Amino acid sequence: MNEFRLPDLGEGMQEAEVRRWLIKPGDSVKLDQPMVEVETDKAVVEIPSPIAGRVADIRVAEGQVAKLGEVLVIFESADSSATTASRPSNGATRQDGAADPTKAAPAQSASAPVASTMTKQRVLAAPAVRKRAFELGIDLADVPASQPNGRVTLDDVLAYAERAKQAAASPAPREKAAGPAAPPEPAPAQPAAPAPAAQPERQPLTGLRRRIAEHMERSWRTVPHATAFDELDGSELVALRQALRATAQQRGARLTYMPLLVKLLIPALKEFPVFNASFDEEQRAIVYKRDYHIGIATDSPEGLMVTVLRNADQLTLLQIAAQLEHLIEGAQKRSLSLQEVSGSTFTLNNVGSFGGSSGTPIINYPEVAILAVGRLQEKAVVRNGAIVARTMMPLALSFDHRVIDGALAGRFLARFKELVEHPQQLMLDMI
Amino acid sequence: MVVGDVTTAVDVLVLGAGPGGYVAAIRAAQLGRHVTIVDPGPAGGTCLNRGCIPLKALVSASERYQQTRQEDLAPLGIQAESVSFDWSKMQAWKQSVVERLSDGVRRLISGNRIEFVKGSGWFMNAQEVRVEGEHGSHRFKFEHCIIATGAGAAPLPDLPFDGTQVLSPEQALQLQELPETLCIFGNDYIALEMATLFARLGVRVRLCSPGEQILDGVEPAALRFVQAGLRKLGVQVATKVSPGSLDDRPLIVSNGVRACTAGLHLDAAGVQADASGAITVNTMLQSNMEHIYAVGDCNGGRALASVAIKQGKVAAEASAGQRVQFAPLVIPLIALTTPEIAAVGYTAEEATRAGYRVVTGRFPLAANGRALTLGADNGVALVVASADDGVLLGATLVGPRAGDLIGQVALGIEMGATLTDLSEILYAHPNLSEIVQESAENALGRAIHILSKN
Repeated sequence: MNEFRLPDLGEGMQEAEVRRWLIKPGDSVKLDQPMVEVETDKAVVEIPSPIAGRVADIRVAEGQVAKLGEVLVIFESADSSATTASRPSNGATRQDGAADPTKAAPAQSASAPVASTMTKQRVLAAPAVRKRAFELGIDLADVPASQPNGRVTLDDVLAYAERAKQAAASPAPREKAAGPAAPPEPAPAQPAAPAPAAQPERQPLTGLRRRIAEHMERSWRTVPHATAFDELDGSELVALRQALRATAQQRGARLTYMPLLVKLLIPALKEFPVFNASFDEEQRAIVYKRDYHIGIATDSPEGLMVTVLRNADQLTLLQIAAQLEHLIEGAQKRSLSLQEVSGSTFTLNNVGSFGGSSGTPIINYPEVAILAVGRLQEKAVVRNGAIVARTMMPLALSFDHRVIDGALAGRFLARFKELVEHPQQLMLDMI
Repeated sequence: MVVGDVTTAVDVLVLGAGPGGYVAAIRAAQLGRHVTIVDPGPAGGTCLNRGCIPLKALVSASERYQQTRQEDLAPLGIQAESVSFDWSKMQAWKQSVVERLSDGVRRLISGNRIEFVKGSGWFMNAQEVRVEGEHGSHRFKFEHCIIATGAGAAPLPDLPFDGTQVLSPEQALQLQELPETLCIFGNDYIALEMATLFARLGVRVRLCSPGEQILDGVEPAALRFVQAGLRKLGVQVATKVSPGSLDDRPLIVSNGVRACTAGLHLDAAGVQADASGAITVNTMLQSNMEHIYAVGDCNGGRALASVAIKQGKVAAEASAGQRVQFAPLVIPLIALTTPEIAAVGYTAEEATRAGYRVVTGRFPLAANGRALTLGADNGVALVVASADDGVLLGATLVGPRAGDLIGQVALGIEMGATLTDLSEILYAHPNLSEIVQESAENALGRAIHILSKN
């Protein structure tokens, strides 16, 4: 008999919810076979089987929360040879995690130097096709194959890239993650004739949705929210991005407005440290943070996630852009580490990227402020008595009124606005 | 030459002129960049000067000598009298091969307008390297740096290399005189080739493998040929030998390698390495500092020149702004034993463990016409494929030129070839490469020259 207990998955994790069992009692499992999906604070982690053997019993049902060290599953017998034999490999080490082609795979350990793609799920494609796909940032698994056998050709990849480009150029304002749009889905079925007295569908909150609900509730109940609004002239910002975009592209980064806004936010946070702080309920004290970990509100298939750009003040624009791309994609795939979804000190919410023009954000507790930036839009504004068209961006800053007053919030917003309207100011503090 | 502390700005600075470094330098130059390469030794690094090339030269020379044994030649009607060898002349010949190749690399470097600086470099910060060399001290400010400083033989704990009694493989290749007996510790291709080389030249060799097999990760059925070949050369083979029990001297230890990064002051550049000194990189070969790359042995990957060469190209291209990555499906592995063995991709067991339903094929060299005309019928071809779609997953070849034949299997796997693909194409006849086709056909149950299983 062999018990498998919930391991420490990192950063102070105390419990995890079992989302889905991939095995059932009676199954024979192989070493490293994916066994169970668990959800910690904000990341979903797949735990592989540590041994080969037969599953005797599953102790924690799906949807239940297991404590650190609690027995999850019991194996009948462990095939000791599978655990002890160091696995030989002709360079074909199996590491599914490294198969994400839109980014270079994460730094590897020395023992597994080759990011192998020859897994069971391998997409058949010649080396030149794989090379082109990587170059275009396309995951071969997403490309519909024209050949029997699922073999992907160069033409398939190029056609897919072309479709993705067109999809991106279409009017949908939704600024999605780095990856190309999914292939067109079949048209939705015709709505059925209205059924009499339909029962409403009830869905219990689970997983991320439940956590979002709890978090929002806590923030809204605890923090006296107030929101300050303003609007800035984004012309310079647009021009700056336009100027840098091609070069950034050459260096492999997709420069959106977010990295620029993060960069422009940092000086404002440094000048108004109370915005980069949290409020300690018990001690009734303001805790000024020395790190600038910028939370980025990110859409994921299962709901809002605040991904965290750690030490944003120490990153170059390109690094921020690359890191953001990684975070957005990780949120989509729910593959982020705990480090990447916790510990933010101030949160930036790009409402515009979700399609809205503006909104009032709820503070990411225990932080004390959150800034929502809206969509850049041409608007008629009055300048020197004349109506002119300018590219405007709405701002909404929610703050914890216990520690921040309206006047300070106004000054903070004004400073941020000044920075965005004159982004050259960044040069002043450059090293 | 400039003496003193002068800073030179370069686009790409390459540290180390081994197969990873000089290839990176040349590719970067091809892409129009201004490149400087730094190495304290001659061009070509360990592989060319002290490792693979000298070893291959000596193994081949010893093979030629072995093939003149009268009992093998007599059936062919050849009378050979008093064949002997001179170890020092053999060494001199090896050195001439090395120098010719090293000279070729030097020409390639200068022909690509790359500056070669002889000296050792270390980081002063994330943008600058200081080089202390024969022409004094020099500072280079780089846009991109590619670290390719390689690795050195790792000694066993409490058993340092002394150059006479406990030898690294490099030291063994430079022995002035052949010892009477030799103990070789290791279970990699280096240990096997060392054992083969010295045994062919009459040294009584004891091969001690720390593992269960004499070569890790290779089909046991194929390895048996190698083991029998070693026995025929008089090599005593022991497996599961613990390093503590090695009392025989002189002793060659092939215990893997350790990255040579200690003198680089990686911390000054903020470059992260693991506990063994290997630089952590992503598949684009970038370290945590994205403008500093590490290729070859110094990043702790498989210590093979083939890996370093490909990584050198990838790093040079990536640093020039291209989106490329190091992601081969398979890495061919060769040991010049007698018979020669080469493997690529999965063994049947590995493929099964990876979740494939596996079909295997086998073809003995004794049924191949060309092998018989070579007087070398000792060997086999084994292929592994997916039973679901026939896609080739791996192969092991044993026999003459197995190492040269394995390339086509690597190509097949990378291209996603199936057993049917291999059986459809036309192989020259009589030819050794037919063993690849016939083993594939055997897996399909229709090999001509053996009675197929069904």
